[in-house]
Amino acid sequence: MQEMSVVKKSIITAVCLALCVVLPIAFHAVPNAGSIYLPMHIPVLLCGLICGWQFGLLCGLAGPALSTLFTGMPPAAILPIMMIELAVYGLVSGLMMKLIRSKSTYVDLYISLIIAMLSGRIVAGLARALIFARGNTTIATWTTSYFVTSLPGIIIQLVLIPTIVFALMQAKLIPMRYPQKRA
Amino acid sequence: MNRLPIGIYIPGDTFIHRLDSRIKLLGLFITTAAILLVNSILGYSIMFAFILGIILLSGISMKTALNAINKLLLFFVIVLLMNTFFYSPEKPWFSFWIFTPSTLGLLYGIEIVLRLFLVLIASNILTSTTTPMETTHALESLISPFRYLGLPTGQIAMILSIAIQFIPTLSEETDAIRKTQMARGARFDSKKISEKAAAVLPMVVPIFLSAFKRADDLSVAMEARGYRGAKGRTQKKGTPLQRQDLGALGVIFFICLLQIVLRFSNLTHPWRSRF
Repeated sequence: MQEMSVVKKSIITAVCLALCVVLPIAFHAVPNAGSIYLPMHIPVLLCGLICGWQFGLLCGLAGPALSTLFTGMPPAAILPIMMIELAVYGLVSGLMMKLIRSKSTYVDLYISLIIAMLSGRIVAGLARALIFARGNTTIATWTTSYFVTSLPGIIIQLVLIPTIVFALMQAKLIPMRYPQKRA
Repeated sequence: MNRLPIGIYIPGDTFIHRLDSRIKLLGLFITTAAILLVNSILGYSIMFAFILGIILLSGISMKTALNAINKLLLFFVIVLLMNTFFYSPEKPWFSFWIFTPSTLGLLYGIEIVLRLFLVLIASNILTSTTTPMETTHALESLISPFRYLGLPTGQIAMILSIAIQFIPTLSEETDAIRKTQMARGARFDSKKISEKAAAVLPMVVPIFLSAFKRADDLSVAMEARGYRGAKGRTQKKGTPLQRQDLGALGVIFFICLLQIVLRFSNLTHPWRSRF
């Protein structure tokens, strides 16, 4: 796979950060879209998958902060927990894409995505239980808020993110992960 | 998308507006720490007086300052009820199924709501009196010591400033895509949530493709002009801290110190009791 330059990775990260602000507003037409469709997760996961863990981590940390600064959402009270969750998504998705090489882009993407999505939710749940809402977090509340309420968002991420990555590869905006076989 | 609330910033020439953005950002962090330390009526009274003082100095109307709170009233009520009904099984008012409402839970709920209330107003004052670009420069300056640990602070600041500049562009682009989808029959104004969701989702892939196209163009342009990273980048002029900035920082530190003393001193006084 042809490696992208640091400048290009930086600009893609900047664009993903901007999308962390713009995308939730686009979803705003739907009530409670933030917690159901999780629009801010998509650019962060994509940034980690495409640019690597360092850039994914930065996108996960700065994305929610930037959104709070511009739109007031997520509220400052929820911001730290969301920053932790998204930072783990960006970090783990980037690390997994580096570690997993199954010779199939789809398999790499799905394994990385699923591990990142699970890790982020586990770390956010632990952070909530140990720091932010000590004594008030139970397995039931964690499962409800991170899996049940956001089930549509999880499905959307699993369908859309690989589609977007492939669309970007086809448009030659990011390099192919594995060289294509010539007919 | 035209209602993009960029510019929560309210232009002005007040004492708080003129303060250095680094001091305001650092001040928000210290104030948040002080709020988290509070555990007495006296402590909360001091913090309320302090925040009220900042609101008056910033020239922001009380309505604007409380704007962030209005949106979260329901959230506050839920936090209060959850704590009241589930926090403690000790000395409950009554016990029914999984519900054990208690005075201790109610007090804990009030404490959490008060803390959230104060943090939200403090951060609202920062965003109302500081432009996002100033905040980015402040962030760059505050994280600059981390460059000695190998953190590319210049590059991070570059990414943040490009991201901020991309927001209006991408927002216009998203609006154009939304209108295109509407022309194709997407029903954004439908009262059915499923129809609204079905209208929004097809927008996502075109938004990403368009955004990445812009990123590709910009990176090619930057590399063609010889840009190889933010390392060693200098600023045209520095902005030294003024006497008023140091004075403001001193006051914030004093408030934080006062909260530490109140929290950890062994003095007993009715005002120090926790509710």
